[in-house]
Amino acid sequence: MALNLSEQQAAFQFKGGALTVTTLELFTSDVLLIADELNQQTRRAPAFFSQTPVVLAFDKLEQDETVALDLIVATCKQAGLIPIAVRCSQDAIKQSARALGLGWFPPQSEKRLREINEQAEQQVIAARKPTMVIRNTVRSGQQLYAKETDLVVMGAVNEGAEVIADGNVYVWGALRGRGIAGAQGDQSTRIFCQQFKAELVSIGGIFQTFESYDWPEVAERPIEIYLEDERLIVGS
Amino acid sequence: MAKVVVITSGKGGVGKTTSCASIGTALAMQGFRTVLIDFDVGLRNLDLVMGCERRVVYDLINVLSGEAKLSQALIKDKRLDGLYMLPASQTRDKDALTLEGVEEIINELKEDFDYIVCDSPAGIERGALLAMYFAEEAVIVTNPEVSSVRDSDRIIGLLDSKTRMAEQGQAVPSRLLITRYNPERVEQAEMMSVQDIEEILAIPLVGVVPESEAVLKASNQGIPVVHDQESDAGQAYSDMTARFLGEEREMRFTEIEKKGFFSRMFGGRR
Repeated sequence: MALNLSEQQAAFQFKGGALTVTTLELFTSDVLLIADELNQQTRRAPAFFSQTPVVLAFDKLEQDETVALDLIVATCKQAGLIPIAVRCSQDAIKQSARALGLGWFPPQSEKRLREINEQAEQQVIAARKPTMVIRNTVRSGQQLYAKETDLVVMGAVNEGAEVIADGNVYVWGALRGRGIAGAQGDQSTRIFCQQFKAELVSIGGIFQTFESYDWPEVAERPIEIYLEDERLIVGS
Repeated sequence: MAKVVVITSGKGGVGKTTSCASIGTALAMQGFRTVLIDFDVGLRNLDLVMGCERRVVYDLINVLSGEAKLSQALIKDKRLDGLYMLPASQTRDKDALTLEGVEEIINELKEDFDYIVCDSPAGIERGALLAMYFAEEAVIVTNPEVSSVRDSDRIIGLLDSKTRMAEQGQAVPSRLLITRYNPERVEQAEMMSVQDIEEILAIPLVGVVPESEAVLKASNQGIPVVHDQESDAGQAYSDMTARFLGEEREMRFTEIEKKGFFSRMFGGRR
């Protein structure tokens, strides 16, 4: 073999491979804030922080933000972390890293970032369909469904009527029929109405019927219905 | 051009036919050429209340199927000029009613009359939907009780979706007529109040007709109660029709009557 001319034993071997490395993605360059939060985290999971190599990522910071890399590295070391490299596009940080003996990774490729952004944008668009607005009274036998959005009824919802939304339900008049929010299971949705005389309300699949004709006085006031520990709360 | 008015309620027995007869009669009294159409095929009643049951030869279905001309089926009222009625069939099936047939009849009547008043059958079946389909105005007859109010609510919803005006993107102007109202029972919380009903149905009130013995008597005699101007119900229907035509009149018969000068004088027939 051409390489083994000297008959010497090989001192080492380069091997490529993907190691899982923790990345510390910084949202601020404020060392005190970073130190504070690291301290809290260390207390919660001390084992995680002993001699753990981390890559300091500065992608989320502004281009022209001044970063005291030496202080950040010192803070990390105090917490038990061992910074091995930085990931950034800023030249200044790259220079400091060289001076501190840290490696450098290029920032996540722009294309990849764009893809991630687009995905996020699409999700946002999907989650926000235009609100369904009904300007009159919803009458007995009528059923409205606001798919993937909120429902606003500017009149009343009468007995025998049903208003359903994947989002929140707002009734400007009296809710006398059935009100269903979070029809796809979203338990953070709410129902609002000016007067509460509902036959049934449901939020995220948890429902309750109301039989009483003797509504308390508070039912005449604006009412908000929401879930707390999987229990329906009817509050004013 | 004639105006098509539907008298409807959803629930049966609330006074649609009685109201239809009295409203039609009152319109004719005001000088409008008026025709009443009974859409309650199989359970015809309007001819009885109008007192012309023995003069029915041809009916709505005969006209629809071409067995008779419209002019042959129309029955002229014996008391008032300019008042006619088109009876429903008692023997035929209600499936004989078709949208095209009804439209043809209404268009033909429109040329000759000022008001076409359609007496809707109870329920939300074919007959009721056809009675309301061509309506340009609606009177919703409601009794002061929860089931009647709920059915009326349902009917208003259908008027807003299942009529020709709704299909053209317009709402049929609907007005509320409360019948069989008894202020004393409202006071005792046995009956819903005018305010309660108005709040739920959210349409303008056109009249309140008190519960009255005169109504039953008039129906059995085949004389629309509006002819009996001494009775409270007769006066209420006159008031209601005036309001329907745009006149402002104070609502009567909604409060408990105090035994005052007038009731002592005239005895206050109920």
